[in-house]
Amino acid sequence: MTVLRRLGVSVDVPIAQTCCGQVAFNDGFWDEARPLARRHLDIFEHADAVVAPSGSCAAMVREFYPMLLRDEPALMERAQAVGHRTYELSQFLVDVLGADDAGARFPHRVAYHPACHGLRALGLREQPLRLLGKVRDLEVRRLGGAEECCGFGGMFAVKFESLSSAMLDSKIRAIEGSGADYVTATDASCLMHIGGGLSRRASPIRPIHLAEILAAQ
Amino acid sequence: MKPSPHIDFDRNAREALGNEFLQRALRSAMVRFRELQAPVIAEIPEWQALRAYAHEVKLHTLGRLDRYLQQLEQEVSARGGRVHWARDGGEAATIIARLARGRYVVKSKSMTSEEIHLNEALERAGCEVTEGDLGEYLIQLAGEAPSHIIAPVVHRSKESIAELLSAAAGTPLPAEPEVLTAAARRLLRQRFLRADVGITGVNFAVAETGTIVVVENEGNIRLTTSLPRIHIALMGIEKVIPRVADLAVFLTLLPRAATGQRMSSYVSFITGPRRPGEADGPEEFHLVIMDNGRARIQADAEMRESLACIRCGACLDVCPVFERTGGHAYESEYSGPIGAVITPLYRGLRAAGDLPFASSLCGACGEVCPVKIDLPRLLLELRARVVRERGASWSERIFVRAWTWVMTRPARLGFAARAARMLQRLVRRRLLPLPYPFSRWTVSRDLPVPPARAFRDGWSK
Amino acid sequence: MSAREEILRALRAASYEAPLPNVIASNVLASGAKRSAGDRVERFIERAQAVGVEVIHAERPALVGLIAHHATSVGVRSAVIWEDELLVPVAAALQAAAISVTDRPEQADAGITTADFAIAETGTLVLTTSRGRPRAASLVPPRHIAVVSQDRIVGTLFDLFPRFGSLPSALTFITGPSRTADIELTPVRGVHGPVAVTVFITE
Repeated sequence: MTVLRRLGVSVDVPIAQTCCGQVAFNDGFWDEARPLARRHLDIFEHADAVVAPSGSCAAMVREFYPMLLRDEPALMERAQAVGHRTYELSQFLVDVLGADDAGARFPHRVAYHPACHGLRALGLREQPLRLLGKVRDLEVRRLGGAEECCGFGGMFAVKFESLSSAMLDSKIRAIEGSGADYVTATDASCLMHIGGGLSRRASPIRPIHLAEILAAQ
Repeated sequence: MKPSPHIDFDRNAREALGNEFLQRALRSAMVRFRELQAPVIAEIPEWQALRAYAHEVKLHTLGRLDRYLQQLEQEVSARGGRVHWARDGGEAATIIARLARGRYVVKSKSMTSEEIHLNEALERAGCEVTEGDLGEYLIQLAGEAPSHIIAPVVHRSKESIAELLSAAAGTPLPAEPEVLTAAARRLLRQRFLRADVGITGVNFAVAETGTIVVVENEGNIRLTTSLPRIHIALMGIEKVIPRVADLAVFLTLLPRAATGQRMSSYVSFITGPRRPGEADGPEEFHLVIMDNGRARIQADAEMRESLACIRCGACLDVCPVFERTGGHAYESEYSGPIGAVITPLYRGLRAAGDLPFASSLCGACGEVCPVKIDLPRLLLELRARVVRERGASWSERIFVRAWTWVMTRPARLGFAARAARMLQRLVRRRLLPLPYPFSRWTVSRDLPVPPARAFRDGWSK
Repeated sequence: MSAREEILRALRAASYEAPLPNVIASNVLASGAKRSAGDRVERFIERAQAVGVEVIHAERPALVGLIAHHATSVGVRSAVIWEDELLVPVAAALQAAAISVTDRPEQADAGITTADFAIAETGTLVLTTSRGRPRAASLVPPRHIAVVSQDRIVGTLFDLFPRFGSLPSALTFITGPSRTADIELTPVRGVHGPVAVTVFITE
């Protein structure tokens, strides 16, 4: 929000908003997810652009609402309309506003984890790195196996806890090997997962959302 | 067919994660495949267009399988081949066993034959069967199932392979791949020269010419289709493509996506049996066209694109789950992302309903598939079917329903967030046990520390 | 109802129309962009060598001598040879070099064939079977020696298929020697087919 306002965008955060329904949808509970999708459309339909600080939420609206709502043509049409103007934050800043300098300063070494939904469903490859590149005093550290999933995957993380943890282990080894003080991503859920693992290992490396870095001064 | 037992993927995954050799072998194999594939894919600037073309050809053909299979039958027959039809694996095995009865058989690696447990049927019919592909031969010696579409024996060390081959050769062999491969060549060559019947699978069957195409690196398929008097090819109904010219695309995609080769060592295009005056090649050519559940998938509009699969294994090689479980955890010939899609379709949601959930939905599989199968979408579709038709566990149902109940009213969310903060403080002081799913979350991760004051509380003021 | 009828009926019931894309012509592909004949030869050599094929240039008058010399130098004592105009003098030259010519591939040290075509982009030899051109010659002996004319080297797969009217009983692509990596992913040559492939390119 700070970042968007700094760039002169008028921002509204509808307090009625809750959850796009991805948790239920991804876990196969489509009947439960549909009312949430309908709510989401009701609330965000009036906006020129919907910006989500989460690649997977943006992907849910853009890519998966049409699938969830395919049996309800009227809703489907609305979903497509909202989907076309829904963006992940870095995507909005770089692709829509054409702003790759958020005017931030963050004097730390940072590793960037390209979260899967942003990377593959939205095609976010360059945008977050371009933004990080313009943050003053920030040093981007190379992350090995960056495009490998951190193992979160919603309910996957609890249903297949051992697999999820094994994937997290690899990710954390790569983060530790990067020499960074912070690990950042465009997705709060991946960061919660990675942060939980770092904290369990009592690692000094901290998770931080890309938006927080861009807001820092 | 006997009803399939429930596949407990979580248990299988835990077992695999505990096997250090397997973890190392899988990781290095997957990394190696990816390193081989990337450059030969990158050198084709039209890769994405070729994927789209292949996808379209497959979806077109699936729409008119009735027409294309009849054309294929007609063309094979016109060139002196015989076509047999099988509703299911049992019928296919019976047809093949009848053709091969009592004879000596060499067989090439074929996923379809694994699917129908052909070797067992042939042995019951008094045939002696030898697998010709080195990996499959080793699997046969070990009495196991293959663990990867194109690297069936990736789960075994060279030492354990040396033991298998030493026993077969009746002489001790060192654990050196070169020596072991040479020993296998000698053992198998005798069998190829002696065999009466050769059985292969089919990578592509071309309707307009009645040609079957088989792709390999070792040469066992060529031996199987050149030396024995009878060649029997087994194909699923989805293997047919309309035109020879389509092969230019499929054969550009398949080797690069599968093994990272520009072209596999050998591609054989077989059009009928040997012709008059030719010195070798089979006198009889039989093509067995098998359904075994595929027509049902073809009629299922949401799932039918899974039939476009060309069995390259690329989705396995990029899958972070497969990389940690290997193929055996799937308890199916078809493993990895494509296995998690088609095994439930073949065996039913009750038996294999866990598999579509065994994915973090990272999307890597859909991105690499050379025929552009949207694997993440298919996994999501199946999850919805599992919840609808089989139901989820009570704890999961409660969690998801509670989540969606809370999320349909912002007031509930505000209340729930405050409650969660309070409960978490109690849990942290060990005054309360953690409920599902957080109990499993915390096996290896900490829960996030909630902010002292929620964003929405601040914003609304 | 027969299995055939039952399967076809089910498929017909669920049939639908989806467009069949037009065949991709080679010149659409940047990677198959028209190369000169010389470029194609060079590309073929590079790609064939990359998969472990030995490539030897041979002017037509020297071809027979070079093949006989090569066979002798690698220790070939018996060979199976395709009946091909180009190879008729080879048989005589081999016999003169004390190499016996046999029609039993399993007893030969080398199989000598021509290739109908070669594909530059992938380093592939394309062989067709017919009377006097057995499949086993390029497969069963531990060595395969092939002769291909320069003008038979096409750019890519996309250029190849239009050159065929009808298909023979067996059409074979050969790209390098037989190989496997089944044992701990260690590449090993010659698991079932030839350990070594040598190509003579002639004009």
